[in-house]
Amino acid sequence: MGSFRNTITDVTGLFLFGCCVCILQISSTFKGVFTLPDSIYNLNTIFLSILIEALPFVLIGVLIAGGIQIFITEDYIKRLIPKNKFLAIVMSCVVGACFPACECGIVPIVRRLITKGVPIYAGIGFLLTGPLINPIVILSTFMAFGNDLNIAISRMMIGFVIAIVIATVISVLFKSNQLKQTSTHNAGCSHHVEKTSTSIIEKCTNVFLHAVDEFFDMGKYLIMGALVAAFVQTYISSEALVALGDGQAISSTAVMMGLAYFLSLCSEADAFIGASFRNLFPTSAILAFLIYGPMIDLKNTFMLLSTFKARFVFIFLGIVTFTVFLTMLLLSGLY
Amino acid sequence: MNVQQAVRAMILLLFALFITNLHYSDQVLLLINPKYEAISKIGVFILLVLFGFQIHRIWKTKQNESHEHDCDHHHDHGYGTINVRKLTSYSIILLPIITGLVLPLSTLDASIAEKKGVMLSLTNNANREESTTTNNGNASGSQQDYNQPDPNLNSNGMKKDEYEQMKGSLADASSIKMTDQAYSTYYEMINAEPEKYVGKEISIKGFVYKEDGFDANQVVIGRYLITHCVADSSLIGFLSTLEGAESIAEDTWISVTGTIYLQDYNGISLPAIKVTGWEEIQQPELPYVYPVVIKLM
Repeated sequence: MGSFRNTITDVTGLFLFGCCVCILQISSTFKGVFTLPDSIYNLNTIFLSILIEALPFVLIGVLIAGGIQIFITEDYIKRLIPKNKFLAIVMSCVVGACFPACECGIVPIVRRLITKGVPIYAGIGFLLTGPLINPIVILSTFMAFGNDLNIAISRMMIGFVIAIVIATVISVLFKSNQLKQTSTHNAGCSHHVEKTSTSIIEKCTNVFLHAVDEFFDMGKYLIMGALVAAFVQTYISSEALVALGDGQAISSTAVMMGLAYFLSLCSEADAFIGASFRNLFPTSAILAFLIYGPMIDLKNTFMLLSTFKARFVFIFLGIVTFTVFLTMLLLSGLY
Repeated sequence: MNVQQAVRAMILLLFALFITNLHYSDQVLLLINPKYEAISKIGVFILLVLFGFQIHRIWKTKQNESHEHDCDHHHDHGYGTINVRKLTSYSIILLPIITGLVLPLSTLDASIAEKKGVMLSLTNNANREESTTTNNGNASGSQQDYNQPDPNLNSNGMKKDEYEQMKGSLADASSIKMTDQAYSTYYEMINAEPEKYVGKEISIKGFVYKEDGFDANQVVIGRYLITHCVADSSLIGFLSTLEGAESIAEDTWISVTGTIYLQDYNGISLPAIKVTGWEEIQQPELPYVYPVVIKLM
């Protein structure tokens, strides 16, 4: 039976390969059949360049996320969390910093941590630093800014401090876990069986399958973000943006944070997009974009709403926005 | 047979083949700095591996999918019926492949430059470099880019001593040749200490860009510098005075010789070129220039 299944799979793979080659062949005959305004071609070129550049990083990201999901148990992470509130916050931020996740993957993990008894403030610290500080984000930031370490290091350091501040504020304001009414175990969950005896091969397979799911979850947000960024570059003159930013720290920081929120970029790829605004905005505004985006954005807000009480989500959004904005204004003199 | 899983496998493979095709036809150079070609190929490899695992799912049912997942999580595993929401998200994911296959890639031109605010960044460069040149002696600031070990060598790679020699030759050269390879380095150096180069002869290739507020005989002759990918390109070039400039259309590629002088633009003094001779040329094979990458070997 197994060999029969393998044959079927091989044939399917070959068949799909054939289909794809045909699609590529046929599509080339469409090239240049109709002409569009030049700006559309430019838009498309910039759009594709952002994607082609970001894709490898995103792929490496989803692989690591898949590995983490399968091989590192929450129990292990939970054991590390100390009893002291502030220590727990610092700890959670550090664990988050060592944890290569993107903001899409981290919400369900945080939710599970909190259902397992991790306090809300530690969960939030983890939620904030997880997508913001990790090797992939550091590498992609470093590369996106023309191999400039300054931006990458500033992003991590300032982001870390901001995360600690926010988690501390949360720990003062909220006592309960703020989760929506959850049955800790959904009934509609038949495929979830704690298999302790899963073989290593099966585990590895799960890592890759998880990476596929992650890729499809994230891919669409990345593509939409790249498209909006390309659109902005093609049609909105930077003089207008700068005028909107007015060269003032306040307005340019606000403009960049608004972009970060609505673009909803994956933190592993947003550095490339942030870098494209480098010539137009002061560095402090660019950093605000890089720090704010991974912490909270439009798609993340929705994900949080599915997990936490609405009131908590909006207060959280307010705290994050206010803290990042204020911090970057105070630091704007340094950059 | 699970149609949705098949669609996913197909999309993964399409991405892999699409990017491979870009590399194969060298079109990838219209999108990214050649330095990043290697990591892009690694991306293709990962896509193919994911495809290899994904095809096993096509004939599986939900029951024998052994996921060690928590139920409360937001992944769509691609099981269940296809509805409008899923169709939309698959269309979004397919969008770049469709546009990439159907629309030809363009080369950045003056219309993009206008959106980028060329004079803003030119005056910006002239300004910024002046404040950071004090540490030009040691490898810091903008110089540190070149000291990064980089395994991906490209057309713009050179050995460290070659690079130092190239930089050194600029100071005592009577005429400066802005070759593709030296373009970004020389541009930086001239902007850093423009007064050092005043009166020197310079020869440069680039396309013509005009902006509102230029005099009739003023143009910018420049090229796009691709640090990373086309999205973060910036136009680097020189404001030039050129007799009969009004007859030259924007985006025309020209090769000029002239002398460097200092020109005031909105209160900022810029290194500029007084053109003594020029001719129209074809757009080069590689229209973009890249920062130098230092080879360690």
